[in-house]
Parts: sequence; structure tokens; C-alpha cells
Amino acid sequence: MSNISRRAAMAGTAAALAAPGALRAQVKPRLTAISQWSAGSDGAAITALGKKFEERGGVWQHSPVPGFTTDMMNKLRAQIMAGDPPSCSQLKGPEIAAWSKIAPTVNLDATVAAAGYEKVVAPDLAKLHKPGGKWAALPLQVYRTNTLFVSKRALDRAKADKLPTTWAEFNALAEKMKSAGMAYPVSNGGSRADDGQKFEACLAGISPTAYRAACMNLDEKALKGPEMKAAFTQLRKLADWMDPNTAAQSYAIHLPKFVAGEMGMMIQGGWAQGVLLNAGFKLDDFIIAPGPSDNAKPVFILNADAFIFWQRKEADLQAGQKLMAELVMDPAIQTMYSQITGSIPVRTDVDLSGAGWSDGQREAARTLKEAVAINQVVLSLAHNMAQENGMTAAMIDVITEYVKNRSITPDQAVARLSEAVEGAR
Amino acid sequence: MSPAAPAAARPPFASLKRLPEFLVIWVPLLISAGHVVTFALWTTWMSFTPSTLVPADGFVGLRNYNAVLATRNWKIAFDNLLLFGSGFVVLSLSAGLILAILLDQRIRGENVLRSIFLYPLAVSFVVTGTVWSWLLNPGIGIQKLVNDLGWTSFRFDWLIDRDMAIWTIVITAVWQSCGFAMALFLAGLRSVDGDLVKAAQIDGTGPVRIYRRVILPTLWPITITVAVIQLQFAITTFDLVRALTGGGPGIATQLPALVVYDFMFQRGNLGRGAAAAVLMLLVLLAVLLPHWTWRAIQNRRAARG
Amino acid sequence: MADTSINIRRIIVYGIVWVVAAAWLFPLVVVILNSLRTAEEIAQTSMIGWPRVWAWGNYTQAWDTYCIAQTCSGIRPYMLNSALVTIPATLISTLLGAVAGYAVSLWRFRGDSWIYGIVTIGIFLPQQMRLLPWTLVLRDLGLTNTLAGLVMIHTIQGMSFTTLFCRNYYVSIPADLMKAAKIDGAGFFRIFWRIVLPLSPPILIVTVIWQFTHIWNEFLYGVTFTTGTQQPVTAALIALATSVADVPQHGIQSAAVVVAALPTLLVYLFGGRYFVRGLTAGAVK
Repeated sequence: MSNISRRAAMAGTAAALAAPGALRAQVKPRLTAISQWSAGSDGAAITALGKKFEERGGVWQHSPVPGFTTDMMNKLRAQIMAGDPPSCSQLKGPEIAAWSKIAPTVNLDATVAAAGYEKVVAPDLAKLHKPGGKWAALPLQVYRTNTLFVSKRALDRAKADKLPTTWAEFNALAEKMKSAGMAYPVSNGGSRADDGQKFEACLAGISPTAYRAACMNLDEKALKGPEMKAAFTQLRKLADWMDPNTAAQSYAIHLPKFVAGEMGMMIQGGWAQGVLLNAGFKLDDFIIAPGPSDNAKPVFILNADAFIFWQRKEADLQAGQKLMAELVMDPAIQTMYSQITGSIPVRTDVDLSGAGWSDGQREAARTLKEAVAINQVVLSLAHNMAQENGMTAAMIDVITEYVKNRSITPDQAVARLSEAVEGAR
Repeated sequence: MSPAAPAAARPPFASLKRLPEFLVIWVPLLISAGHVVTFALWTTWMSFTPSTLVPADGFVGLRNYNAVLATRNWKIAFDNLLLFGSGFVVLSLSAGLILAILLDQRIRGENVLRSIFLYPLAVSFVVTGTVWSWLLNPGIGIQKLVNDLGWTSFRFDWLIDRDMAIWTIVITAVWQSCGFAMALFLAGLRSVDGDLVKAAQIDGTGPVRIYRRVILPTLWPITITVAVIQLQFAITTFDLVRALTGGGPGIATQLPALVVYDFMFQRGNLGRGAAAAVLMLLVLLAVLLPHWTWRAIQNRRAARG
Repeated sequence: MADTSINIRRIIVYGIVWVVAAAWLFPLVVVILNSLRTAEEIAQTSMIGWPRVWAWGNYTQAWDTYCIAQTCSGIRPYMLNSALVTIPATLISTLLGAVAGYAVSLWRFRGDSWIYGIVTIGIFLPQQMRLLPWTLVLRDLGLTNTLAGLVMIHTIQGMSFTTLFCRNYYVSIPADLMKAAKIDGAGFFRIFWRIVLPLSPPILIVTVIWQFTHIWNEFLYGVTFTTGTQQPVTAALIALATSVADVPQHGIQSAAVVVAALPTLLVYLFGGRYFVRGLTAGAVK
């Protein structure tokens, strides 16, 4: 394996040296890409990106891999092992660094520098895409996973007008909704990622510092700290307000009830906006707000989708990679993409005041900027931004079991979580 | 005495003339056997390496095994396997046997009924799992239907109950595959010597007694075969659980095959996944070795008698 | 007196059998009904219900206009792929299994029981364990991302089952028949063609049914080793079931499930009788 990789790496470099701009201009840029974006707004967005690629004279060959994320990873692994990686593929977080060790990636430094991109990307985010200090992948869009969606009708039903900003206020509002006759004030999905996302919203809302130490740096002391127990206690409250009948289904099945005011609040990623709109609901059916933060300053739990670029010898594929990289960094393209999916642009210099953006997106982009300034941006654990998949899965095991099993106490959960981290190290 | 003399005893020119048949016999068999042996050895080798995302060289001793055995996932999966394996095999054998006996009562519409009990075998586990996850989901399935019909206190929420969720997998698996047991039992019942039954009837033995004393004992070998096939199915169950519960609620319905897949492909740790796969194979061998020994003894007896 | 008790007994037997049969049919009925209901209707009520409006459009959409993985051609192309993999793989693995089973059972040779034992162990190898080795094999043979690669995988793996079935069936062919044929000077192929094959239909039907349903329903290899519109229909079904970014389209999904399951259901419906018969002859031994 390593022999093949080295040979491919040398061939790739040689081809890059031998094929300067002049020769590249002659070939038609071609891109082979794999992602799991096969349906809904994700599918629509990548298709629109493909159209732009074709408008610039490229040949767009995107193969969506339907199903679970693991199915896409299996496909990527199979192609890499076969020595035939796609010229770019969807990959995110620390997995970028892990996968870049098993096959040579394209060095994008020159293209990134030419676009002046590094200045406009959040530093924590940039770092994830530069394994070994060189750009090998490019983030495409950013989501906040601790976005609070509140149903307008539920708010009216509970006769409340103020949105919660801290967990205490959140709990008070949920109680109010409950006494107004809502069986399940918190709307939820039943997947592992859903459970993890609720936990990270609790912990980061209670203390972003503790979140950084425990979930991002896996600090042993922080993992056993009092904030962890507080987070699990808050998570139990959320779990008690959720519909237990959800089983392993997606949160999307509850959206009609959420809009109708039978469920009140939802802690979700910004993507839920795109899904709501896609399902035919209106922007004024719901309110988007930042997730609760007990220190009253904005906390942004960041999740970003990205493309990693795999080294190929073919001149047309190399030209395609360069074109794709330019497109992904282009503010106009990021605007188009985020407007379809409900995310916010990676670039912090995009103006969101125009039509086509929702108040929620504007708010999220503003919060991101503010949170970057006060160092309250953290990377999402539930969405594989904070740790490699093995560690993430081991931690989510504990969290999801806790959500589904009322008899586990917060103290036990804290102990189990640090055990799981030790076991997966 | 075997019908043909061993090939090697023939003179060489005869072997050359028989080259085409050697090729036809040996090439497919060797490829098939070769893939079994090399794949199993390769996985065993992987389980001793530090492989993560892709196969890697190196030797880490039993580290992967220790790591797998220490996880809660594996412990839960193993307990579930014992519960699911025994529950499923017992239920599907008894349901299959009862159905076969009922169908054997010379009833009208036997062909239709047999097709009804067999059709789940034709459907993929992915579809079965998905459809049953709708039916068993208390919010949209059977419970909702009964509640809407007026019986509002009716509860059937095993799918979200972490103690009962494993039984939803048992129900679905029995539904899917007890037709297979029924088919084999039915065939066995049909091949029972009619004279034996007649003799018993002349002696005035009642129908229940005839089944217990005369017919069922002859089904013993079929029962063993069905049990082994069903156990093998239980141990390798994967698609069904992935579509039905996804291992949840929480991690309450993990099974070894899910843990293997999870380690190898979700958690990016091939070494540990391979170790889990080898452990799974050992469980399989624990089932199969007694069966093979039993069959070998049977065969030897048959050959002698 | 005796007559009524027999009648009561028969009524009980019929009662039990048909109640169980109804329970067995229930999931199928639910899927068929859902395939004729609109997504809105299902979302408002539950998964189980009688269609208010008969949404026949679900079928036309599922068949050739609904967008699956960015290709808006329904499940039609995927059905074709499944057929292109399943039919050759079923036929080849059955034929090879028949020859191998015949050789192992009627032409005993040195090492026959060993190699037969190893081949049949293949039945018990978990699928997850084979995924990566197959990746390496496909790479070395240059068959990555081809339907031919899938045919090869299913043929080689399928031989474990087909050899087992055929061997167990052929051992019951009387040795005298073989002896007589050999005295007449018939060779390996001639005996196979003239004596063994004409006796084989029951077991070949079982083998074909078994292989056909297993290969048609396989998912993991299909999605890993093929790309885009080359994928088998199970991949399309998963794509429909897991498109989490959408509000679920249960109606169209159900229609797709019905269409995708139709070939294997028909195979069982028409082959069911022979399946039971052949199974007794072959697999039980």
C-alpha cells in the first residue's frame, strides 16, 4: 500500500511539474466527485454547483453515494485501495488529517493563496483543512449545530414572547409550554447524532471552556469536571421533554407537528431551515435563535462540510481540481450554495444583507463573527468535527445510552464517558 | 468403496486425456475454497495489526482483542446474541413445526398458505427491517392504529423500550424465516413412512400420541439441520437490525455483526473490527463443531450399518 | 358425535392457520396500501390505513421519474442493473455448483471431502469480513466499479451454497447407475450430461431460487463496488429510505419497495412448490 502511494505521489508531482498552465489550458477540466448529498436541498445545492462547473467549461462527474455515511466511506476506501480515488470527495473534520495519511492529496496552497482565502476563514476551521500545514481540503459551508428553532404557534400557545437565552430560561419556557398542553415541548430525532448534538449544546451552553477542554482536547480532568455533570443533568431534562416514540427516526418526521405548535422547540443545525422550507413551510412559521448560553455571550458550535482533493495524474482531472477549488472559494458560489441549503458561508466577508438570506442565517453569520472574536467557537462533537470517528463514536455511545436510559445517573454518565475516552484512545 | 479409483493411481497418459475434466473440477473448487481460506486468514492477520483506515503492517499482539472485549458495545452485543439466538431459534423452530403440522392435516388451500408463509424469504432484510420499523413504531404503527380505533390505553412500544427492543428483532426474524423451517418440517412429515402411522392407528393410538411417539422422532435430524441454519442466521444478522433499530435505543440492540461493521467502517479501526470478526467466527465454530462431529458420527454409523 | 368433534377440530385448524396467515400477510398489505396513498395522507394519519385517494401516480413516479441520487429516472435503471448482475451470477454459480457437487459426490478423488468442507465453510463467513479482501481482489483484477466484478463476487461466494445443495442431492443417486454407465465407457462429462443433469431439475430449481433472491437482495457490495447509475436496486431503496434531508416520501418509497420485490416474490410464488420438494431432497440430508 505505502509503496503504491509513494509511486502515485511521485507520479502526481512529476505530472504537476511537467504540466504548467499552458498545457492545462488545452484540456477540458474534468471532476470526479463522490458525496452522500443525493437528495433534498443538499442534492439541489451540489447539482447547482455542478451547473456552475459546467458553465466554466468543465465536465462534471458527481456520483452521490446513497445511504449511510459509512457507505460513502466504504466506497472512498475501496477506490483509494484500488488506486483510483475520486478527484475530490466529501470529508470533514479530523478525518481529513487521518485520511490524508493513507493516500496523497493535492497541495492547494498556491490556489488558496491566490484567492486570499486564509484571511477570511475562522482559524480553528482552517487548521482542520491543513494537515501537515498544507491545504489539502476546502470547507464548503458552515452550520451552527446549537441553533434554537422555536415554533411560532407554540410560542403563542404558551403565551410567551421572549426567546430563551440561557438554559434556565429555556427550561422555564419548556415548562410553560408543557402546562399549556404540549405533550412534548422539545422536538427531536432519535438518531445517534441527534442525541450527541443535544449533549454538546448543553455542555457548550453551560461552559464553552469546559467543552473545549473535554470534548476537543480530551483533557482528563475536564472530562470529570462539574460542568460535565451539569451538562448531563440538563440533557436529562431535554430527554424528558422529547417524544420517546421517535425510535431511530430522523427529526424531520416531527416537523409538521412542530410547525403546528404541538411541539415547541428544537435544537438543530441550520440545515433544518432548508428542510422546513423544502417541506413547504414558511419562514414565519418558526423563529431561529442562537442556542442557550449561560454566560450570556454567543457560543457557536461549528460544523462544516468540506471537499478533500486526491492526487491524480490525468491533466484534465488536475485542471478540474483547480477549477473546483476556485469555485468552492468563490464568494458568489458560497452564497448560492448556502442560500439553497440554509447554511452560512465559510467566508466571513460575505455580505448577508441582500435578499435570499433569512434572518436566521444573518444572525448565525453575525454570531460566528462575534464568537470568533471572543474565542467561543467550538467544534461539533456529534458531527465529527472535534474528534476522529472512532473517538466520536465511543463518546456518543455513552451519550445516546444515557438519553434512552432514564436509570443512568449524571454521575454514572460522567464516569462512563471518561472510561469510553480512555478505551478509544 | 468409492465408485472411481483415486485419480492419482492412474497412469500419466490417462491423466493427460482427462485434463479437461480436472480443470472443470478443480479450478472452480480451488477458487472457491481459496477465497474462504485466504479471506479468513487475512482477517485473522489483520486482527493482530495496528490497521486503522486501511490495512497496515505490524504486530500488536492481543491489543485489539483486549480493546474490543473491554467495550460496553461488545458486552451488550454478546448478551444480546445469546438472548436473540436462543429466542429466535426456539420460536422459529416451534412456530415452523406447528405450522407444518397444521398444514399436514390435508387442508384445502395448502399451496396458497405455503406461499404466504414462505414469501418473507423472498424479501430483502433491508425492506423487512424498514417496514417492520414502521409497524412497530408506537408513534405511527400498530399502537397508533389501535389507539385511533378507540383503545387509547393500548401500548405496544417494544421498539423504544431498551429491555424489549431485542424482541422486536426476534419477532421480525421469526416472521422472515420461520417459513423456511416450516418447509423443511413439512417435507419431513411427508416423508414419514405411512405404514408406521397406519400400524399405530390400528393399535388404537390417538393422533397426538402418534405425533409424539411415531412422527416427531423421525424429524430429529431435520430439526438439527434447521437449528444450525437458523443459528448461523442469528449470528450473522446485520441488515435487519441496521434497518429496524440501528442498534438502538441507545446501544441496546447491538449484535456482533454490527459491532464488527461499526469498528471496521464507522470508527475507522480495521484491527479492532477484524478482532471482533474473529471472535464472531469463534462463536460460530462453537456452534458448528459439535454439529459437524455429530454428523460425522452419524455418517460413520450409517456407513457401518 | 365423532363427526362433530372432527369438524370442530378442523375448524380450529383452519382458524389458526388463517389467522397466522393474515398476520404474515399484514406487512405486505400495509406496504401495498401505502404505495397507493399520498405522502401527506400518511404523515397526517399513520403508516397503517386505507387510501382515501388512490395515488396510482406513486408507481409511475417510483418507476421512472422520481429523483434518486440526483438521477431522475426512478428505479428503472437500477432494476436493470440488478437483473444484469443477478441473472448471470445465478446461472454461472448454479452450473459450477452442479458440476462441483457432481464431482465431489460421484467421482470421489483424493482430498474431495477436504475441499468440499472448506467450500461449504464459506456459507458461514460473515459478509463484513469479506468486504475489504474483495476490494483488493477487484483492484488486482481491474474490475473495480464494474458489474462484472459483482457477478464474479456473487458467483464465487454463491458456489458455497450451490455446491452444498447439489452435492447433498447427488449423493442419493444410486451407485449402480454410475457403475453401469462407466462400464459402458461413458466419461465424466457424458455421465453428467446424460444421467445426472436429467435427474437434477428439483435441486437446480432450489439453487436458482436461493441464489436469485440472495443476489437480488444484496446491498453492501452493490453500493460499495459500483457507482452512480450502475448501482443495483437495493442501493436505490436505501437511498429512498435514508434521504434524511427530506420529509419522508413514504408513498413513493412503498411503491418502489413493491416493484423492487416483485421479481423475487414471483420467483417464490411460481417456484415455491418445487422449492419445498427440492429442499427435502437436497439440503436436509
